[in-house]
Amino acid sequence: MLYLAPAAVAAWLLPYGLGGYTMHVVDVAVIFAVLAIGLGLTMGVAGQINLAQVAFFGIGAYTVAILTTKTGLGFWPAAVLAVVASIVAGLLVGIPALRMQSHYLGIVTLGLALGFINWVTNAEIAGRAEGISDIPVPPLFGIDLSSGYLYYYLELVVFVLALAFALFVTRSPLGRRLRAMRDDDLAAGALGAEIPLLRMTAFVLSGLYGGIAGVLYAGLIQFVAPETFNIGNMFLLLAMVIIGGRASVIGCVVGALGLAFVREALLDVSAFAQLGYGVIVVLVVVFFPKGLAGLPAQVFRRKRAERPRLSPFIPYDEAPAVEAQTVLEIDQITKRFKGLIALQDISLSVPAGQIRGIVGPNGSGKTTLFNVISGFYTPTAGRVRLAGTFVTGAAPYRLSLKGVARTFQNLRLFEDLTVRDNILVAADRTRTSWIWRYLALPWTVSTYDRGLRSRADDVLGRFGLTGFADVVPRSLPYGIQRRIEIARAMAMRPSLLLLDEPAAGLNGDEVRQLAEIVRSIRDSGVTVVVIEHNMGLVMSLCDHVTVLSGGRVIADGTPDEVAVDPRVVEAYLGDSMAAPTEDDTDREAEHEHADR
Amino acid sequence: MKLTIVAVTLVALTACAPPGEDSGSGQKTEGPIKVANINAQSGQLSSLGKWENKGVKLAVDEANKAGGVNGRQVQLDLFDDQGDPTVGTNLARKISADGYVAMLGTAESAVTLAMAPILKTAKIPNITSGQSPKLADLKSPFLFLNAPTSVTFDETLAKYLVDEKASKKIALISNNGAYGSGEHDAFLKSLKQRNVTPVADEVVTPEQKDFNSNLAKIRQQNPEVLFIGAEEVQSGLIAKQARELGLKAVFAGGAPMGTDVYATTAGLANAEGSVVSSPYLSNEASPAIKEFAAKYKAVYGEEARLHVAKAYDGASIMIEALKQTGGEGGQKLADAIRGVKRDGLLGQYNYDESGVGIHETKIGLVKEGKAVPAAAS
Repeated sequence: MLYLAPAAVAAWLLPYGLGGYTMHVVDVAVIFAVLAIGLGLTMGVAGQINLAQVAFFGIGAYTVAILTTKTGLGFWPAAVLAVVASIVAGLLVGIPALRMQSHYLGIVTLGLALGFINWVTNAEIAGRAEGISDIPVPPLFGIDLSSGYLYYYLELVVFVLALAFALFVTRSPLGRRLRAMRDDDLAAGALGAEIPLLRMTAFVLSGLYGGIAGVLYAGLIQFVAPETFNIGNMFLLLAMVIIGGRASVIGCVVGALGLAFVREALLDVSAFAQLGYGVIVVLVVVFFPKGLAGLPAQVFRRKRAERPRLSPFIPYDEAPAVEAQTVLEIDQITKRFKGLIALQDISLSVPAGQIRGIVGPNGSGKTTLFNVISGFYTPTAGRVRLAGTFVTGAAPYRLSLKGVARTFQNLRLFEDLTVRDNILVAADRTRTSWIWRYLALPWTVSTYDRGLRSRADDVLGRFGLTGFADVVPRSLPYGIQRRIEIARAMAMRPSLLLLDEPAAGLNGDEVRQLAEIVRSIRDSGVTVVVIEHNMGLVMSLCDHVTVLSGGRVIADGTPDEVAVDPRVVEAYLGDSMAAPTEDDTDREAEHEHADR
Repeated sequence: MKLTIVAVTLVALTACAPPGEDSGSGQKTEGPIKVANINAQSGQLSSLGKWENKGVKLAVDEANKAGGVNGRQVQLDLFDDQGDPTVGTNLARKISADGYVAMLGTAESAVTLAMAPILKTAKIPNITSGQSPKLADLKSPFLFLNAPTSVTFDETLAKYLVDEKASKKIALISNNGAYGSGEHDAFLKSLKQRNVTPVADEVVTPEQKDFNSNLAKIRQQNPEVLFIGAEEVQSGLIAKQARELGLKAVFAGGAPMGTDVYATTAGLANAEGSVVSSPYLSNEASPAIKEFAAKYKAVYGEEARLHVAKAYDGASIMIEALKQTGGEGGQKLADAIRGVKRDGLLGQYNYDESGVGIHETKIGLVKEGKAVPAAAS
């Protein structure tokens, strides 16, 4: 807050110290800053490669130009329609993102941007190569906005609102979900984030900011032509975001303003300016991957106090015993992958309050079964019932909201989110359709977020992770990361917890702590299903064990019964050569084995 | 406490005086007269921009050597618009803030169109090298063209081809850039007025280099005339590839086809007989042009051409008008430009209310890479 006031005063007084031309340069720079915020939100925060931002910008500007000059509509009604048009364009560009990601998405968005340029250079209504001139000056209560000075204040107001909204979104539950999706969309889905809708949201935000910038541009320059929205300018915009630091909204603004002025300074050697931007981008990507926004952290990294220690786990309160009820019921599940049968006619039912162990040799289908239960795979045949309701084939986020939590065999923590944020993503139990509140009732979002934070602090405290709340998981030892993943799953307040090899890579002491934690979780009323290879742990921890081999259930009973079952002994020890080709099954069915 | 006082003072200051520059920054009556030359010095159109600048510079240097404008030197400053209209609008504001009284350029109609409203507000007369009919449509009292518009070029061409030579089977190929589409629209309009429908109408992009598929389509129609609406190099490539495909049609087009660049790109044999509509056919067309071409070659060591000549004409008109106003700009300078009747290299300048000074072009035929007046053939 302290640094805000001087910045505001400086921004307000800035025009008094500037010449008419410099003022105009500042006006243009502010427009690029708004654009860069939009690109930063889609690319940096939500991780959606978007090379169509300059097209959204163009759609905003061209819509204003066409509506005001061809239909005689007033500037402001045209502006509203222009922003709507850009948002619609954002939705259309976002549709491919539902099916493809990373470089494919880059190519698709680039293609759409080129398509836009092509259309405006050829369409009669868009004035073709000569563009559209004579866009009216926006009227505003008698203030003469043809003056670059007064226009600056209009821009300043819009910019501050746009920046505030972007900061609000990034720091809100929605922003955390977007960032979680960027880091790992599978894990985010398993934590209740509705991935398709989130991707669309990212592109809608992109369209919104592009449209606003386009309107400001049309009002300022009063002229539009295809050259302004070409790929060269898209690159400039990309450079602004990368140099500033794409994951930070403030960084994007700094990058945009900075590069806009560098561009101005290079006007006399503009032939080589593109080359210059290219070199700067390469240097930044190599030496400061997080851009200018990452610099302070890079400089002050070493000045950290000694490493905090893991505190002991505080057991949950025991829940009163409930009447026996089947939490999970699997009925004749079969899963085939192109002729390979990973699961065949699996049936099992888990009563409330049980710790169920699932064991079996590698490739026996354990993780595939988890993926079916948590909605990652749709079974080829069979049904899954959760506390009595059929949920076969439901999307992971729906199952998550119904109380299914899971961990992953290979950790899937959100690497660039702090431990607290990891927990907060899981604690957020809203549907994504809740996002209308971000525009309509922002204060309710803040209240909700405060509630989330206190719950997250509870979870952190209980799992002894308070000391690590503000570091990124990547920097922590493996055992602690395992514990974070369990804490994250528990932050969802699930009724059914699926643990996929929770003891892998843990030392003896950590395994003991793990058993204590799992028992306490069970005692709090959560049903636990655990896949584990550590047979000692399985025997001591589980109430009931199901043994899989070759995609079938070969034994089911108490640990003592199962341990002496001849089929189990055979599956584990004898005749392993005759077992179905594990390696193949591994690759096809349990893709998470790949890293092992 | 101190801070509060400062803050209150600042707020009060903000409340009573909106920021801005004194708009009447005053016409200086001493020192050099500042004239801006805005042209693309980088990007695709930089060769045009460089020629324009040389022509302008030649005229200004001559005037300064001869004593300037009523004893004051003309200070010519070059700005690079990169062929980008947005940069153009930035520069328009820059020159109006920096006290330039007049502007020469640009060679790109789209850039000039973008700048025109700003220059009109700032009352800075602008003599442009653009020839898009849209420039004339603006009817800005501060915008003047140093060459005819595409309408004149193509009307003359259509008159020659259809009325005199009675060609009926005419095919069009043009690019969709600002120049190409302007040519296309103007020529098509002139044909329509003569009830001629083109047998083919192919549109390419300004970056395109291979036209075989477009030309193959045109060949099927076996036209008598192929109208080419494109810049110098592209026109040459089209002509070359058309002949390679066995197209027999006569090539016709605007000023670019009268240049040596066109002829050398196409190959002298292929360019032979091309019909050109241009106010400036060759460096030998008249004694005045010969003298200018020699002068230009002496200074820059290269052949003069239309772009150089019209920029020279434009700058000369501007200087003549400045002499009349005594270096004063604004409305007075615009009126003075409108009043200049110059017997220029491109023809007789006689400005109308839409800012067009030259109203006719000549028809030439390319002979051994040089355009010669059609009457002489």
